Order: sequence, then structure tokens, then C-alpha cells
Amino acid sequence: MVEAADYQCDFENKWCPGCGNFGIVNAMKDALAALDLPPEKVLLVSGIGQAAKTPHFLKCNFFHGLHGRALAVATGAKIANHDIPVLVNMGDGDCYGEGGNHFLAAIRRNIDVTLLVHDNRVYGLTKGQASPTSDRGFVTRIQAEGARSDPMNPVALALSQGAGFVARGYCGSKEQLGDLIRQGLEYPGFSLIDILQVCVSFNHVNTYDWYRERVFDINGNGHQPGDLQAAMKYAHPEGGRIPTGLIYRKETVPFTQRIPRLNAGPLLGQKYDRDKVQGLIQGA
Amino acid sequence: MGIDVTVKIGGEAGQGIQTVGELLARACYQSGLYLMAVNDFESRIRGGHSFMQLRISDRPVMAPDHRVHLLIALNERTLQTHRSEIAEGGRVLFDSEAGGSDQSVLHVPVTKLAREAGGRIMANTVAAGACLAMLGAPDKALEQVLRQRFGDKKTGVLENNLKAAKSGVEAVAGVSFDWAFQWPDKAPAGKLLSGARVLALGALAAECRFAAFYPMSPATDVMVNLSGFETQLPLVVEQAEGEIAAVNMVIGASFAGVRAMTATSGGGFALMSEGLGLAGITETPIVIINSQRPGPATGLPTRTAQADLRFMLHAAQDDFPRFILAPGSLESAFETMVRAFALADKHQVPVIVATDQYFNDSLAIADKTLEVPEHVDRHIVGDADMEDPAAYKRFVFTDSGVSPRALPCNGRALVMVSGNEHQEDGHISERISDRIGQMDKRQRKFEGMQKEMRAPETVYPDSRVLLVGWGSTAGMIRESVEMLRDGGVDAGAVCFTDIWPFPETEVTEILDRCQRFYMVEQNATAQLGWLIRERTGRKFAQAVLKYDGRPFFPLEIADKVKACEEVS
Repeated sequence: MVEAADYQCDFENKWCPGCGNFGIVNAMKDALAALDLPPEKVLLVSGIGQAAKTPHFLKCNFFHGLHGRALAVATGAKIANHDIPVLVNMGDGDCYGEGGNHFLAAIRRNIDVTLLVHDNRVYGLTKGQASPTSDRGFVTRIQAEGARSDPMNPVALALSQGAGFVARGYCGSKEQLGDLIRQGLEYPGFSLIDILQVCVSFNHVNTYDWYRERVFDINGNGHQPGDLQAAMKYAHPEGGRIPTGLIYRKETVPFTQRIPRLNAGPLLGQKYDRDKVQGLIQGA
Repeated sequence: MGIDVTVKIGGEAGQGIQTVGELLARACYQSGLYLMAVNDFESRIRGGHSFMQLRISDRPVMAPDHRVHLLIALNERTLQTHRSEIAEGGRVLFDSEAGGSDQSVLHVPVTKLAREAGGRIMANTVAAGACLAMLGAPDKALEQVLRQRFGDKKTGVLENNLKAAKSGVEAVAGVSFDWAFQWPDKAPAGKLLSGARVLALGALAAECRFAAFYPMSPATDVMVNLSGFETQLPLVVEQAEGEIAAVNMVIGASFAGVRAMTATSGGGFALMSEGLGLAGITETPIVIINSQRPGPATGLPTRTAQADLRFMLHAAQDDFPRFILAPGSLESAFETMVRAFALADKHQVPVIVATDQYFNDSLAIADKTLEVPEHVDRHIVGDADMEDPAAYKRFVFTDSGVSPRALPCNGRALVMVSGNEHQEDGHISERISDRIGQMDKRQRKFEGMQKEMRAPETVYPDSRVLLVGWGSTAGMIRESVEMLRDGGVDAGAVCFTDIWPFPETEVTEILDRCQRFYMVEQNATAQLGWLIRERTGRKFAQAVLKYDGRPFFPLEIADKVKACEEVS
């Protein structure tokens, strides 16, 4: 049996004390242990930002790439070897800003990876600029008069684009979050978990206290994840309350199953027949 | 004097110029002739002015000729634009119902005959029939091609095309043509391939299993050709949401263990720059084909250039090792692709294969066998190769700079990779010893990479003057050297395929034997010329440069070098 402790890594952590990312890493370990997946059987892919450092702080295989591009790297890796469970860690700026196009494409492909967006509504690594999910009017050193753009709503966007697994988690609800990550990993297809995350250094609006007053679990309260209309309603928080949990889930065909060639097994392991290739080239 | 005839087919985009060209090319090919077909088209789907230039010979040809012996003008504009290029004794076959043929312009009602044979769409076949008849081809030459092309279509298609071909042949019955020749009845000389197709075949031979791309002329055809094999081989070709996604997908696939590539042109390559650097610092083997076209920005999308050399050398921030290879023939392109993947794996670096629109879009005959290597060495390690897989470090310091490469989820060894500077195990690090250690490790690869580099190919290397170029212009340069020698200039050629790491010793040795050398390049500043200056201290005398987006003609090169020689 794999334990969460098996994911313990002695590499020095580089996050601020009290960072919401700690809750996310712990939930990830719980989820991986619950699935009995040992560190050597999992691949983590990340972009750039505080969130994207996550793979360094738990024991695993990882590819820590470029800002915004983690989903593209994950897509390539998954096509090459679709037996690998792939978790992607990105921040809100990373995924929804720099990587917005890849986010849309990942939904369309339904690439079978689990995307964890550490959504703290601010840029942490670059010290506190407004992000795509910051509220309009959110004041920062550079947005002194407040952010001028309206925030995007990633959950609603994913639903509108036909994503098959959409969840909203909260870094302070470790058990619920661990369970969502586990379900995301089990889901055959693209799974988005937008994680409300606290940034103790640069976001003094959306704090632990702020979230504690607002978040509530929808799955324990009778929400049926197959109900798209209800999901759309929960995608848009109202009345100062933020619904969390598995918002929507439907059966879909994951990308690698849409490629007949991959029915024979992972691309990496398929037999390469030199003589056949020579024959094809001869006849070309 | 052997056969050396050029046919030019011109008209609007959408008129099927390429179809006529391909019918002619196939007919020549199957009769055992050599040929080269160069496409010249505008960036539009309909209208405008496009042409295909088909050079037919009984010897291998790898350059277009400036003379046109037979011009097939499917519209008035072609007639006006290209009439001046007609060689002595040459003729024009003009699609016209007006009649009134004269010594050079022959009016043939191509479209009308096509309609009579069953439809306007067969104008291409009528034109091909008339053209081949004028060249003295036996009727069966085209018939065979038509049977192959339309044999499996619904009833009537083949019959109508045969009828159309016959009406074309009859329309020029009795017309004399000075450049008609005796057609051989031989087996095909090799394989009729486009540059784009041969690049795809090379990738297959190299066991490329994944390719991602974003459509961009003139690179798209490489991927079109590759995707044709998806159902037969362990291969996935994916159209990405952009070039940035394409290169990152390729990096992800390669990291996970399969050989992977992308193909693009300058603008897309610019977008891939950061990914190129990511492959550099993560030491992930990838192959990028950059099919060059004139720039900057969108430039001339459907035209040719060799103007990205400096860019390919320096793309992405800071220093890291990369290979740049620029094949100069179909056979070389096939072999270069096989080598590119092998070099990428062996040295764990990105490899850029530089081609261009002229190379990708032209058809010619590869007359050497395209040999798939017996063995593909992946240079990958597993648990069994390690004393303690738990202690595996992806970026362990080594003398060669190359660290043993394991694959993720392929054993107990954890593979940890970061585009940030890192320590030996792959975790990010800002320690000076890690930065210097990893930077030096990567730079040390140059030594091993340099040993892989081949000297440029030379023709008449002991000549007084040498013409120096790279990539796709090899055929034109070689032919221009023959012209110069026929004109009494003691000239030879130096054609680079391996450009980076720069083969300094070999190049210095070659250049020190001549009195002076001329650069021949399809860019405005002699980019290779200055690289040679930088790496060897040797300076070119003059440069023959062409950057109008059209390929060189050998005579252009020869004339310019000759003029320079006369004043020096």
C-alpha cells in the first residue's frame, strides 16, 4: 500500500510560510496514495510560477517547463505513453493567461490529464500583479487604481466548452480537495480542478478568513454532477457564497482513445518494423 | 548533346497548373527520364498567376533552367509574362479558340476540346496530351499515367480523360518542334519525390513516432506526407493549436520516450524559440524542420529564401548546443533526417534541419536507394543499467556533457527535469556551482558534436576560385560551376550540409587551397559568408545574392561570378 508519506521529498521547499500551496500538495499526496500509485508511476507536468514549482516538493517524475505551456508538454507525453497518469500543476496566470489557448485546446482534445489550477487570483512569483481571475478593482502596486479588466470564470468557461470533468476546490478543504484530485485522476478524459488558493503575501483580499465565510460543499448538499444546468448555476458564485466540489461530470471519449493507432497500446511500446518501413518507403 | 528541355505551364491559381505539371512529370519519369519540377505560385487559392517549370533530361538534374523551350499558356497573362523567356526554336502552346498560329505561338483550343471530351476540368489532360505530343512522346506515356491516376475512379472518368488526351495529341498533329526528342523506353530512373515527401520518408526511416505542427507554408506538406503513414506505422501526427504548442508537445513526447519532430517556417520557428531553449536546457532530443521563406514577419509566404541562418544559430536566449543541418539534394535530405534524429538522441540536443520553399515544393528524382538504417540506437537507460535506480540523477556531471537518459515511469528511477537551472537530480537550483556545472556540462557537448560534423561537399576543390553555398542551392551551384568551366573559368563548388557546430578545420583547409571564393546565397547579406569569416577568418571575395523569393538559375550565378572574375 502506498502512503501519503511515500511522496515525502527532502528537497527544500521554497514557498512562503502559510501558502495555500501546502494544502494542495498534501491533498495531492492523499489522492495519489488513495489510488495506490507509487511516485515512480506518476508524471507531474508544470508551467512557471509558484504553483508550477509543486512537482519539486513531492517525490515523483516531473517535467517543469515553460510559462503557460504545461498542457502542451503533457499532451505530447500522454500521446507518447498513455498508460502514464499525468497531473498538471499551473497557476491562474500560467494557465488562464499565458496558456489560455492551450487550456481551450486541452478541453477540445479531452486529453486524459488532470489539471490543477492553483487559482490565487494574483501573480505570486513576480510579486503581486493582477491575474486573469483577479476582481476588477483589485489593487496592486502596478494596478494602483485597481485592475481594469473583469475576471474570467474558468469553471464556466470549461463548462461552456464541453469539458467532461469540472471541479472547484479550496486549498483549505484538504479532504474534499484530495477526493476531487483522486476523482480527476480516475476520470477518463480531461479533468479541471480550479483550486481556490490563498496567497498570504500578495492577495490580502481573498484570505483564508474571506474564503472560510464563503465556500460550501455542493456534493454533500444534493448536487448531481450530471446536471449541466445546475452546474452552470454553481459555476457562477452568487450571494457572496462560493460553491465547491465536483460541479460537472459526464462520460466522454478521451483523446488517446480517439486515435485508432493507440488502441494497440502506448505509442512508446509499439513494435517498429524496420522491414515494413523500408517497404513503405520503397513504394512511396 | 543529351536531352535538356524545359516546359513551363502557367495560368491562374485553381486552373490546375500543378495537375498538368504532375501528369507531365509522371509521364517523363515512367519513360526513364530525369526531371525537376519547380513550383512558383502566389499566396492565393484562386486567380493570380502561377506556374510550374519542368526540366526534362536524360541526366540527373537538380536545378531549374532559365530557358523555356515549350510554354503552355493557359491564359493571356502567362503568354505576356513569359514570352521573353522562350529559347531559340521554342514554342508557345496557347489556350485559344482564335486560331492564327504563328511561328512561335500555337493556338490550341484546350478548354473547348476539354468540354467536348466531357468537361472543362479535363483541360489539364488536353494540355498534357498536346505538350507530350509536341515533345515527341509516345501516346502510351500519358495513357499509362492516366490509367494509374483515374483507373479506380467511377466509370467514365478514365475514358473521358483518355479522350481528352487524344484530342490534345491530335490538335498538334503535324506541328514541328525543334526541341522534340527521341523518348527512351526505360524503367524509371529512381523515385519521383518532392522535397517535403522525402523529408517525411526520412523521418519514418528514423523511427519518428510523433509529430506536431501548426499549418504554415511551405512546411505543411512535410506533415501532410507524414500523416499518410499514420494508419500503417506506430506514428501519431497532431495539428497543434499553434507553433508554441507544437514544439512543447514534441518536447513532451520526446521526454516520455518517442522520437518526435515538428516542421515550420520562419514565423513559426520564431514562435518556437522559447521551446528550442527548453529542449536545450532540459537536454530533450527534438528535430525541427525550418522550411525557410522570405521574411521578416509574413514576408513572401509561398516563396523561397535561405535567410534564417543567423536566426537558427542564435534563436532562444543564452548559449546551448544545437545542430543545424541543411541538405542539398533529395538523397541528402533523407539521410539528413535519419542523422538528425540519431544526433538528437545521442547528444540530447535539438536539431534544426534547414530547408526552404524551393526544396520542399519541387519534384525531382532520387536515384539512390533510400535505405532505412538497420538499427536505431536510442541511447536510453533503464533500471538494469543502474547500480541504484533510486539514486538516478538525470543531469549528472559527465566528461562528455551527456548524462544517461532514463524515461519517466519506466522503472524505479525518477526522472526529474526542469527548464529552470537545476542541480544534477533535476531540482531547481540557483547555487553557483550548479549553474556553472550545468552550463559547462551542456557546453562540453560541443566537442563530441563537432566530431560528428562533415566537411562540405566539394566539386573541383583544386580550382582557382570556389563558389560556396549551403542547403538547397547545391544543384544550382554545381551546374553554374560547369558553365563557368565551359567558359574558361577555373571554378569549383563547396556545398555545406553540416553548418553547426561549424566544421572549422575542414572548411579552413578547403578554402586555403583556392585563390578566392564567392558566396552564393539566397539572402541579402551572405549570412554563411560572414559565419565563415567568424569561424575561420577567411573572407569571401564577393557574394552572389538573390533575395527576391525565386530560386537561382545556374546561369545567373555563373554570369555574376564571371563578371566579378573579369574585373579582378
